[in-house]
Amino acid sequence: MKKLKKILFYFFLTLSALVFVYPFYWMVISSLAPENEIANLTLLPSDFTLSSYSQMIDKIPIGKAFFNSMLVASSITIGVLVFGSMIGYALSRLEFKGRDLIFYIIIFTMTLPFQITLIPQYIIMVKFGWIDTYLALIVPYFINALGIIMFRQYFKSLPQSLLDAARLDGCGELQIIFKILWPNSIPALVTIGIITFMASWNEVLWPLIVIRDESLMTMPQLVTLFAVGGRAESQLGVKLASAVMLALPIIIAYLFFQKYFIQSMASTGIKE
Amino acid sequence: MRKLLIKIFLLIVITVTLFSCSENNNYGNRVISYWSSNNSYEINYARFITNKWNEKNEIKVKSQPVPEGQSSEEVILAAVVGETTPDIYSNMWQGDVEAYAQAGILVPLDTLKGFMEFLYERCDSSVIEEIRSLDGHIYQIPWKINPIMQIYNEGIINELGLENAPATYSKFTEASQKFQKDSDGDGYVDKWFGYAEVQVTWWQRFFDFYPLYLAASGGASLVKGDKAVFNNKYAVDVFKFLRNLYAENYFSKERLSARQDPFLSSDIATRFTGPWEISHAENFKPDGFEYDFSPMPVPDNHSGPIYTYGDPKNIVIFKTCKYPETAWEFLKDILDDQGDLLLIEMTNQIPRRKNIFENPLYKNYFENNPKMRAFAKQADFVKGTDASPVLKEVFDLISQEYEACVVYGVKTPEQAVQDASDAVDLLFLK
Amino acid sequence: MMKNKRKILPYLLVSPYIIHFMLFVAFPVIFSIVLTFHKWNIIAPMEFTGFANYIRLFKDKTFLQSILNTLLFLIIHIPLQIVVALFLAEILNQKLKFKGFFRAAFFLPVIVSGVVVTILWQQLYGFDTGLLNRLLIKVGLAKIGWLTDPNIAMTSIAVMATWKNVGLYIVLFLVGLQTVPPHYYEAADLEGASKMQKFFKITLPMINPTIFMVVILSTIGGFSLFIEPYVMTGGGPLNSTISAVLYIYKQGFFYYHMGYSATLGLFFALIILTVVFVQKKFVERDT
Repeated sequence: MKKLKKILFYFFLTLSALVFVYPFYWMVISSLAPENEIANLTLLPSDFTLSSYSQMIDKIPIGKAFFNSMLVASSITIGVLVFGSMIGYALSRLEFKGRDLIFYIIIFTMTLPFQITLIPQYIIMVKFGWIDTYLALIVPYFINALGIIMFRQYFKSLPQSLLDAARLDGCGELQIIFKILWPNSIPALVTIGIITFMASWNEVLWPLIVIRDESLMTMPQLVTLFAVGGRAESQLGVKLASAVMLALPIIIAYLFFQKYFIQSMASTGIKE
Repeated sequence: MRKLLIKIFLLIVITVTLFSCSENNNYGNRVISYWSSNNSYEINYARFITNKWNEKNEIKVKSQPVPEGQSSEEVILAAVVGETTPDIYSNMWQGDVEAYAQAGILVPLDTLKGFMEFLYERCDSSVIEEIRSLDGHIYQIPWKINPIMQIYNEGIINELGLENAPATYSKFTEASQKFQKDSDGDGYVDKWFGYAEVQVTWWQRFFDFYPLYLAASGGASLVKGDKAVFNNKYAVDVFKFLRNLYAENYFSKERLSARQDPFLSSDIATRFTGPWEISHAENFKPDGFEYDFSPMPVPDNHSGPIYTYGDPKNIVIFKTCKYPETAWEFLKDILDDQGDLLLIEMTNQIPRRKNIFENPLYKNYFENNPKMRAFAKQADFVKGTDASPVLKEVFDLISQEYEACVVYGVKTPEQAVQDASDAVDLLFLK
Repeated sequence: MMKNKRKILPYLLVSPYIIHFMLFVAFPVIFSIVLTFHKWNIIAPMEFTGFANYIRLFKDKTFLQSILNTLLFLIIHIPLQIVVALFLAEILNQKLKFKGFFRAAFFLPVIVSGVVVTILWQQLYGFDTGLLNRLLIKVGLAKIGWLTDPNIAMTSIAVMATWKNVGLYIVLFLVGLQTVPPHYYEAADLEGASKMQKFFKITLPMINPTIFMVVILSTIGGFSLFIEPYVMTGGGPLNSTISAVLYIYKQGFFYYHMGYSATLGLFFALIILTVVFVQKKFVERDT
């Protein structure tokens, strides 16, 4: 009886896991199936073909978009780590006038809905001539309130002796941050890095607004426009192939760094 | 100390600003920049004509495809904002011209030498009235059109015992009824006679309501000046016709565009579309699939020619152009009969000029491309858009009512057309 | 000199933030407010229109509907999310084989771009050939117009959003559940409490803070609902899935009513701030 219950339990659990995994499986095999089989596909197509992928590559510069996404997400991540730790350090370890004020401003901006700032930010991009440049995709994201606050929290928890020793050795403040604090803050760097990278990889609203030039589009933007617009020419496999290409890099990263991903996300509760 | 901070801050701001300003496009001095549409045929065409021009002329024309983006309209808008507009742009949707004209960024072409003579030679007076802006000037040259027609699956039409695609509302409805099927027996219709995109996006109405309205009314306007003029029998009839098709499930309410092409898979027998469908069909059609084009269906008592929407793309010159006269010379060159022949041969698009089908110059092309003939014949009876700076909103408001009435049947056609018309009038009140 | 440098240094370190704040927060907020009093389509110069945008806002039925849609989304999405996440977290919190695998499976949709998820679900939700309807037909039920029935479409989107995010909340709840001291349960076992009783009497009160955090997080996330309706329905059918952000985006970047769009944005931001503020007060009072 107990055994039966256990089997049922695992059966149920597997079923619910399938609910989350099967759609991805379906997406991948559909993108590999001949176009006319997709509509009735459930488990395996009669034949595998890469034609959806080759058609997609013909239609949209997915390789370039991958490069763009990589460039943008990496630059943002580096920027957030560098600026975030500088500011987080100043806010946690240095005394100066207005420190608390800045801290509260940061907290406040986190609660500010982006709807208010969207249009003026777009206009700033226009006035700077940054529309259709990487700058528009990268620079506004260099400063990330959450990153700053997480660095601040983490640096606060490090022992003062670490800093004192470094100062005795004659380290400058920047050296302290990057040579002393960074090696002692790997978990914070990993967490903030993963969150930032993922969020920028998946960002789609802002690129939709500031990028019109196809050769500069990031993957989510390109795939969105491809799927929503008519460019897929009603070829379903092609659409799904583009979606697979968009999902793949993050899923691969996830498979390798699963533990960090889950921990990072759990520690902030932020989504996307 | 505070001063120092302010200085640093200012310095950064200034560098950033300078950096961004220095990026302005610079084509050098005696060059005219020309943006063409960005499909590969037109890119080649633009290269060809500019090379030809540049061999003989001192002021050069440099062609470039409009940067690919969400839509060319958005790209142009961004260029206007960033003051990086080209001198000539040849893919301007007619409906956008009025807004740009009112913003004062287009050259009034009627002020150029010999322009009006040229225009009268190329186009019918009705076309000239159609493209005239509200201030009386003309800011665009009618260039090419893609008329919306009814594509139909010949096999299915024959199976239904018909010789042609249905030409009137009642024949269309009759054929729809005959064709409707639940082929897999699951209790749900899965073969529909036709399909129109059900999304409310304003330009989707170019492929259902608008061409049907033009066909029924003989090319009537939607707005005149600042008044809605579509609250009439024709609009109501179109709404009634389509509403019935949805109510009887002769048209699918689902967005079929999210799945495979339903026309090529014979899940639908007809749809309203333009000549671009030819190359798509030739690429993807299954073996033995035959199709052809016919005019839009009209009300049963219709008489006279059958108009449709032509989706006109026109040429404009932006005021940033340093040599408008030279630009005009260049354009005159590519817009003569021979130039249009080149356009049609290189890009499979129909030039907007008089008597295209009768002109012996183009005869050869249509013999080689029989599918294009229907469009060439249709070309004498196309309408573009009305001159209005708020045309998108007009279409959007119509589209909202269209969805409520036609697709979901929650409003009567009379009420829906009335409401749309009232809403459009409100738009002009400010 | 030395002392001076030490004084300036912190400001130098935070200066990137200050610049960013000025450019991307302070200026936009002020500009936005100015914009609400103007009519502007970007090409032509701005035109002062007084309170016209505000008057229009209060008469705009579509905007009202977009807010109601967003609230409807939240009302379906949040409870569903909490129930499912808590349930699965409870299961995962036991001794289990392949625990890591199951957790990873539930978490998979969280990391994938919303664009992928929406493209995928558009196929699942298809009326004629969608997987879900094929399943319904197989078990002898009627097809459902997941995205074509105005009464159902928003629920469909909320279910999809739950599917996408629930993994994250499972993990958050797992963290919460592990903070419950085991001896509480042991004591309850001695008194012969049932599983249900233990859950409602011990677990639930103990993880209350996590639940509130989840509520606040998914409220903020839910208010920015955009890409799902943008890709799947375009806001239809009959505007039943147009979210406030989608409407604001359309007004601004589809029709170029910049002034009006800014007005909508400002107004909507105030609503969000109010809701989140009330929720926070609620939490503070309760804990």
